[in-house]
Amino acid sequence: MTRTGNPRLIGYATLAALGMLAALAIRRPELAVVAAPFALILALGSRAPDPGLDVTVDLGTERTLEGDDVPMTVTLRTERAIDRADVVVELPRGVELADGELARSVRLHAGEERELELAIRCTSWGVYDVGELRIHARDTFRLVTWAARIDAAHRLKAYPRPVALRQLLEPMQTQALAGSQVARVKGDGVEYADIREFVPGDRMRSINWRASARRRVLVVNERHPERNADVVLFVDSFTDVRGAGRSLLEEAIRAAASLATRYLERRDRVGLVSFGGVLRWLQPGMGASQRYRLVETMLETGVAPTYTWRDVNIIPARTLPPAALVVALSPLVDPRFVAALEDLRGRRFDVAVVELDPVPLVEPGRTEVERAAYRLWLLDREARRARLESRGIGVATWGDDELDAVLQEVRTFRRYAHPARV
Amino acid sequence: MAAVPLARGDDTLQAVDVRVAAVAFVALVASVVRGWPVLVPVALTLVGGAYAAELAVDDAPLDLAVPAIAVGLFLAAELAYWSLDERRRSVGDAGMGLRRAALVAASGVAIVLASSVLLVVIDEVRARGLALDLTGALAAVSVIVIVVALGRTARTDAR
Repeated sequence: MTRTGNPRLIGYATLAALGMLAALAIRRPELAVVAAPFALILALGSRAPDPGLDVTVDLGTERTLEGDDVPMTVTLRTERAIDRADVVVELPRGVELADGELARSVRLHAGEERELELAIRCTSWGVYDVGELRIHARDTFRLVTWAARIDAAHRLKAYPRPVALRQLLEPMQTQALAGSQVARVKGDGVEYADIREFVPGDRMRSINWRASARRRVLVVNERHPERNADVVLFVDSFTDVRGAGRSLLEEAIRAAASLATRYLERRDRVGLVSFGGVLRWLQPGMGASQRYRLVETMLETGVAPTYTWRDVNIIPARTLPPAALVVALSPLVDPRFVAALEDLRGRRFDVAVVELDPVPLVEPGRTEVERAAYRLWLLDREARRARLESRGIGVATWGDDELDAVLQEVRTFRRYAHPARV
Repeated sequence: MAAVPLARGDDTLQAVDVRVAAVAFVALVASVVRGWPVLVPVALTLVGGAYAAELAVDDAPLDLAVPAIAVGLFLAAELAYWSLDERRRSVGDAGMGLRRAALVAASGVAIVLASSVLLVVIDEVRARGLALDLTGALAAVSVIVIVVALGRTARTDAR
């Protein structure tokens, strides 16, 4: 701890010295009597020893969901008595107090241990360094302050809170492994597909006896197998549009985490590409461990401004497996991301776009020129959207609606706008 | 505290004392309101200076109002610094403020008693002027030594 003088120390020393000197100068002992209490307090209180205060901070958990309360305990142990110890917990931006007090003043006896309980809450997902404290300890005379700053010792990871989703986007093509997605191809499965004539090697249980009786020839049922799919979440991290307490990048990550969770639940392989100034990717995988890997990668996502042109060639090939469904989450503000989407579609990837609507966050402007620029920007957005749709990319705008409704819009588009096969 | 020299001085001294007391009051209020601790000793020095001026002009053998002045200055200083300490908004233990107030009040009582005893002692040794001068000089030198020592060790890192 660092020993510093309280303002009282300088004040009392000044008053005592001036009183004594004035008493000598004008030869009046009364002034020495007036100065004596200050001198006495200085003599008694200025040599206060180090209280030997030990402080530890404990977090209830290192991982939490955004908005959930996390208990935090500050433990104070002292060797000597402290008349007043001011403990101030400093929280990083994005973390707020949920319960208790950030600033506490306590009195500790010699050898006492005291626990201060509070609860914190992450207002948005991310990685936060918490546990930073400032402490000022003073003795009874309060002439000397023992100060210490405890650095943040805990890394709190706040995962995005899942968005409710009832139905997901179905990929055009499935993969080879078993899953929950009804494949377009025919094979062993549950979902009825068609009938055909019996050929040697067909199983007896596949014979459709009623159809065989009508046609007077053996007919077997064909079925669609249930397969899994490869889904790549393609997050736009070129720009983040912020305003009115919202961040479109944060909402994109929140939606991506929810989509990843739901796709993984139905045994699909899910990968991630955060496409922006810094490229982050995670190859598609399955299972609970992949979910944690995805979320951890998403937590690192941020906007790194860059003016260099970037295209999909910089994405590792294995991150985008053939026939994967690419679900893009973007405000469609940066032309590089729009070009990347077109490029992916040109490479026969199944692409769908959830457009996070930036329009409510942008002011139209005050002057006529600004309003004209705003209208031009809106027209340019419409043109971009139309260009993507003309290439068979379903685009749905996510504003105030539920994500479920937005995905339904994309599903409807994809139902009636199948890409041409050549 | 300023009332003591005001009540006893002549017209010229009173006029000066009123101005000094007003400046001291403004300085004290400013220090507490704006959080400037450096103004606390300034305000108290002004009041003490007015009292010293009155003592210098007055020919009284020993002023009996000294305990009141001493405790008044101490309480003003202590309460002003306490107020400055409380500018940091924090939730304290129950009874912490009350305990501090009791401690300050007890200190005030102790100062009144100690000042009175000192006055009696001074009255007793007053006949021997050299002894008093030596005592005063010793006390002044001690205080200056303490101030210098504190100034050198005020920002020592213990850890």
